[in-house]
Amino acid sequence: MPTPTSPALDIEGVQWRPISLRLIPVRQISVGIFLGLPGLVTIWPAIVVGSAMWLLPIGLLALTAWLLWLIPRQVRAIGYAELEDDLLIRRGVMFRSLVVVPYGRMQYVDVEAGPIARKMKIAAVQLHTASAGSDASIPGLAEEEAARLRDQLTARGEARLAGL
Amino acid sequence: MSIDRATKAEVDWRKLHRVTPLLNAWKVAAALIAIFVWQYSDTLGQLDLPATQLLLVIIGVIVVGSLIGLGYSALAWSRTRYGVSPESVYLHSGVLFRQQRHLRLDRVQTVDVTQPLLARLFGFASLKIESAGGAGSNLTLSFLTEDEAQRLRNELLARAAGLTVEEAADGAAAPSAPAAPEREVLALAPGRLVGSLALSFWVMAFVIAGAVLVVLAVVNQSLAPFLGVAPALLGAAAYVWSRFAGEFAFRVATSPDGVRVRQGLLESKARTVPPGRVQAVQVTQPLLWRKRGWWRLQVNIAGYGAEETTGSVLYPVATTEEVGRLLYLVQPDLGDPRPLELLEAGLSGTGGDEGFVTSPRRVRWLDPWVWRRTGFRVTDTVTILRTGRIWRRLVIVPHERTQSLGLSEGPLDRRLRVANFSLHSTPGPITPMVTHIDADTVRELLVDVADRARRARREAGPERWMLPRTARLAVGAESGPGEETGGSGVAGPAVPPGVYGGILPSPPVRPVYGGVLPGRSAGTTSPGDGGRMHG
Repeated sequence: MPTPTSPALDIEGVQWRPISLRLIPVRQISVGIFLGLPGLVTIWPAIVVGSAMWLLPIGLLALTAWLLWLIPRQVRAIGYAELEDDLLIRRGVMFRSLVVVPYGRMQYVDVEAGPIARKMKIAAVQLHTASAGSDASIPGLAEEEAARLRDQLTARGEARLAGL
Repeated sequence: MSIDRATKAEVDWRKLHRVTPLLNAWKVAAALIAIFVWQYSDTLGQLDLPATQLLLVIIGVIVVGSLIGLGYSALAWSRTRYGVSPESVYLHSGVLFRQQRHLRLDRVQTVDVTQPLLARLFGFASLKIESAGGAGSNLTLSFLTEDEAQRLRNELLARAAGLTVEEAADGAAAPSAPAAPEREVLALAPGRLVGSLALSFWVMAFVIAGAVLVVLAVVNQSLAPFLGVAPALLGAAAYVWSRFAGEFAFRVATSPDGVRVRQGLLESKARTVPPGRVQAVQVTQPLLWRKRGWWRLQVNIAGYGAEETTGSVLYPVATTEEVGRLLYLVQPDLGDPRPLELLEAGLSGTGGDEGFVTSPRRVRWLDPWVWRRTGFRVTDTVTILRTGRIWRRLVIVPHERTQSLGLSEGPLDRRLRVANFSLHSTPGPITPMVTHIDADTVRELLVDVADRARRARREAGPERWMLPRTARLAVGAESGPGEETGGSGVAGPAVPPGVYGGILPSPPVRPVYGGVLPGRSAGTTSPGDGGRMHG
């Protein structure tokens, strides 16, 4: 496990499955497009106007660099586990969280992929319950794994279906 | 195909009451007139007309506006039909864009009979059936006569409960479902409502701001300060007024259909929440209410969403003793042999009384004031979360209503070996969470609650609350001995359904903390009185 151990969130006997590392370039590319590119573009007005205008490109590029460094760590920290009755998802490096979603509480499952993710053949699976609070999404699953998980979740959800 | 068959064969279609266009027309007319005044007030002023002619023009506009409104409403009414089958309610509506809405009766969350002021004056009501599909997932029938609305509510609730209504399918004359016998539990005195509002933050802020303004105005000899904050003051006044008008004449009653809540000064509402529809209960006490011992009770109900504020109030101001009775209505079994003591510890206690587990001592410099108060307790039937020292808060979530669970921690938490626990409920005013619980404890808590929720789901009562209780009980009795400690989990659902009608189980399964309820026949009103709505 690459992330530091946590006294609260490490539940014994749970085999965490990592997600696809192809999520790293996908996230890095979108950070590059939405933060790095504006950072580079704003260098030009900074050169023209000078002084205080440099704050913008410097800030943007520093943020980009930090995120590029952070993303691999974040992605490696995401894990999930399919237990008999529940789906467990953990994420986060500094601020960490763990969600336990019972299959029987599932209302529907989403499989989503953006353009870059599609290119890299990964997709995100999101489990929806009747609660807005249960943020049960697993980003960056290989396409075939996403499809398998979707079918698995649907089947288990039906088998353990509960009311509201 | 099957839908077609259902709509043709089993459903008996009805129309809304003829008066509907009239009650709706004024809205359209008012909108038209407002637009007219907004657009042409200048032109009207410039016209060089005698006063009588001007008056005629204005009257003409009002008449035309009303006629257009009436025409549109009449068209909308003529194209609206509703129907009831043993399984579902149907509403077909819309003039240009047609909408057909079918709502399954076993998914009904609440049934409201609402009377806006105008409809109330003339004895009409609208019926709103809420399902769990989030905001806007309701089916509203407006308007019906008051009797018809109540008859329909009783019929829907009876069918949703799984009772078969004999011969109701033939429309008006058929013997309808009898109103479930109903008994009033609590009624809010206007004095206490006014007092509670006077002691609320908003009114205090309003009064203090007003006083400051008066001083400023006197000192500066100008009214400018008033003009500056007038919108804010108006907003606060509007909020307080809406609380007062909405929560006036608040009454709670029980019936086999569930908890019945009535409220409203101008617009009256009668809401029925069937058994098992309450997802979470919250009891709060602002600092200013402490001396009086007042509490506010709110519930999460699937389908209302966060924006529905009045619907989520179970009782605006209750004394500690009344809190017990109200909680008993929505959660008869707290899963503890000493429910009253447990409740007391949860409401105002600190430390580890009654089995509460609090934040560890080492977070005292993070939460210097509340670390002994923040805590939780898991019983056989519910999870209880206790937070807040100044704004006291107690949240109760039944195990069979737990949606999902979460743990979270920041770097500082990890340092201190603590984490935050949250329990995800349906959208509503309540977000159950406790912070800074010892790491090992919170992990055990997570596993424990997940496990209990799983067992409770398996043994939860049916959606149609009257139907197979007995069958389920029999099953429970068979498998009961097999499930080791799970047997205690059965205690909740195993309480006979009659409890909800206020007929106490004899002998009580657990000590009844809301035990102030009168006996079997004492307060039971006759079915005829069941649905009356006037104060």
